[in-house]
Amino acid sequence: MSEAVITANSLVAGDVVFWAGGGWVEALADAERFADPSALDTTLQTAKGQTTTVIDPYAIDIVLEGGQPVPASYRERIRALGPTTHPDHGKQARGGAGVEAIAAHAGAGVRSSGRLGLIRRK
Amino acid sequence: MYRYDAIDAAIVADRAAEFRGQVARRLSGELSEDQFKPLRLMNGLYLQLHAYMLRVAIPYGTLSADQLRRLALIARRFDKGFGHFTTRTNIQFNWIRLGDAPDILDSLAEVGLHAIQTSGNCIRNTTADPYAGATAEEIDDPRVWSEAIRQWSTLHPEFTYLPRKFKIAVTGAAKDRTAARVHDIGLKLRRSRDGELGFEVMVGGGMGRTPYLGQTIREHLPARHLLSYLTAILRTYNRLGRRDNIYKARIKILVASLGAEAFGREVEAEWAELDQAAIDLPDIELARIRAAFNDIAFEDLPPVSAALNAAKAADLSLARFVRNNVAAHKVPGYGIVNISLKTPGDVPGDCTADQMDAIAALADTYGFGEIRVTHAQNLVLPHVKLDDVPAVHAGLQQIGLAAANIDLASDIIACPGLDFCALANARAIPIAQAIAARFAEPAMAERVGELKIKISGCINACGHHHVGHIGILGVDKKGEEFYQLTLGGSGAEDASLGEVLGPALPADRVAPSVDTLVDVYLRERTPGERFLDTYRRVGLTAFRSAVYAEAL
Amino acid sequence: MPKLYRLEGDQIVEGDDPFVALADDVPPPALLSPASAVILSFARFQREGDGILAQGVRVGVRLEPDERVEGLAYDLPRLALVALAFPKFRDGRAYSAASLLRERYKFAGEVRAVGDVLRDQALLMLRCGFDAFEPADGATVGEWSQALHRFRNVYQAAADRRVPAFAERAPAGLGRVG
Repeated sequence: MSEAVITANSLVAGDVVFWAGGGWVEALADAERFADPSALDTTLQTAKGQTTTVIDPYAIDIVLEGGQPVPASYRERIRALGPTTHPDHGKQARGGAGVEAIAAHAGAGVRSSGRLGLIRRK
Repeated sequence: MYRYDAIDAAIVADRAAEFRGQVARRLSGELSEDQFKPLRLMNGLYLQLHAYMLRVAIPYGTLSADQLRRLALIARRFDKGFGHFTTRTNIQFNWIRLGDAPDILDSLAEVGLHAIQTSGNCIRNTTADPYAGATAEEIDDPRVWSEAIRQWSTLHPEFTYLPRKFKIAVTGAAKDRTAARVHDIGLKLRRSRDGELGFEVMVGGGMGRTPYLGQTIREHLPARHLLSYLTAILRTYNRLGRRDNIYKARIKILVASLGAEAFGREVEAEWAELDQAAIDLPDIELARIRAAFNDIAFEDLPPVSAALNAAKAADLSLARFVRNNVAAHKVPGYGIVNISLKTPGDVPGDCTADQMDAIAALADTYGFGEIRVTHAQNLVLPHVKLDDVPAVHAGLQQIGLAAANIDLASDIIACPGLDFCALANARAIPIAQAIAARFAEPAMAERVGELKIKISGCINACGHHHVGHIGILGVDKKGEEFYQLTLGGSGAEDASLGEVLGPALPADRVAPSVDTLVDVYLRERTPGERFLDTYRRVGLTAFRSAVYAEAL
Repeated sequence: MPKLYRLEGDQIVEGDDPFVALADDVPPPALLSPASAVILSFARFQREGDGILAQGVRVGVRLEPDERVEGLAYDLPRLALVALAFPKFRDGRAYSAASLLRERYKFAGEVRAVGDVLRDQALLMLRCGFDAFEPADGATVGEWSQALHRFRNVYQAAADRRVPAFAERAPAGLGRVG
């Protein structure tokens, strides 16, 4: 499998967050990447136990673009960046190499809900 | 307009206090997300793609200037300085923190605003005619009955956990500006042959996966029995609606499966056994509510405003504004002023905090402090002296909200779509912006005439695409944004559901295809025909061939 | 034995539950003592209710959400209790069932909420005529009582006969209760 990261929304703020070593970070660039399906699964179960920190953790596919992680799905690209209608709102406003890589990536080929495990791949 | 008395204020305050406690218990872990989610939805708090979204209720689309100023304050203090008006005449804030929600609700409660039942499987906000109390063509003021419904439905203990959401619309004029026939209950004010005020009751309308037009189960319901009759409908739905499949849980499915006649009989049987006197409002309460809406001291003015006419002659943009955005008022010398939130290039339905403050000031100065919200995501100043229209227009120009495009091609309804909404398959706003850009030139938009384009980012149809003259539905095709076009829908009194034009188109083909459709219309139309009329006369074929010949 | 909370006056109190839920597959004791109180499923009541009532036992019937109260209408005068099930707290059919029991059938026995019964729905249940609860959360009677008094006013008439706002507003002497 390609690599995956675990994402969720923070309970108090509602922000998009990504799992990194037992906690949660705001930038996809800093997320922990999983290449091994069973490690991913185990960690996802742990993440789901953090019910007063985050809501509804799930795994998403990422691809590497110039070394930067980029969500494979279009929907998750918007989640990682912010609304395309307001380029100064959301994480995209922070800029940086990670953001630029996501913004530049075409993101085709995977169902735009992006959620692993719920949808059978074509 | 109706002002909250001590009882209304207490109920809102108590609900806000209850929610504060529920948030604390969620944050501490005492409540699970599963237990908390319906509670927060019933206070209008969604989890969207980027943050929580708070949907504040604007009951039957009526706001005071003070309330609009408070919404501006919320936008500034707790959000990113703007809000979004919706197709159910509520307002959404996109960047809310759960931790701030209790403070926001307390602040809203101070001016009689709340977020009660703007989501969840309960009775939602009522959509009423935005021209209520201002148009000459109404049988009776829908706001009186909408306020009665608001009170009856708020925290109704029996109907708080319905199979699914429930939406009611009340229209009182020949022209339906509420899309009543695609609501779960559509109520049309009417008079019986002997002059008794009543409602035609339609049930089972709806959009989404399986659209339906509502069917009449009662031709004439005496108005005083409105609440008991609604109780009978809701109780029937609560008991019989499906709970096994959320896509089959709306009342429209129940009505379709029983048949409207059988469903109507169930309702009548239940209604006959209800203690109607306990539920229906006494005359004295109806009179109290009605009096609240009759609080405007109109002046005695000539029907024609020389000042306005002179100003129009001197200013073509004002003349265009009056032509498209100002509707006739029942009182001579006044007009109903529509404020378009669809300036081409802007996000449809969005309004910045500064714009809200400015509109509130215009309402105070020129409009008796009253603002309305329409289901087309625009605003209305319902009572403006024609003499004052030039000043209002100038004020709107200063804040970039003077687009003279009401009901024209650039007056597009669009849901937030995949830019914001966790349910969406595709984006809607950029599509709307691309189309609006093609009709930005005002004279051209006027030449095309009335054309209601409605865009939904997913099948939930919050953009009302089923009832667009041109409807656009975002779908996900192999991970990319595609759009299915429909033609010939209408949410007005001539309600109809749109027909699919052909296979879904990629995003960059949508705006050019709309251009093509308009070209066909301009070629085929006979004098006086709107786009919708031409389509209804000539059918799909010419439109389809034109669009798909190009797409090949 | 699960906890039982009951409405007493304007408070919620905790108490013993005199009723025993007789599962469908458990044979009844050959001779129930007259002090017994049992809750039967609707199906079981239809089969054996007459016989059990004849022994002088207090009988309650448990209705699932898809079992209509109309099916019990004839027998209600003989029943001490109706238990209405909430398989999930979001299944709101029992609110209508309770309302009908109180308002239409004037049932004067105990109307008990069973299943996924949580304190955040306490006031809704109370307003619809429930007066007993088998709570599924860890909330205390104090917390349940708090829920009862959470709202100073209510808008609409319901089975609990609380004065609705429109009646409170009426001038003295017209439409006021008490």
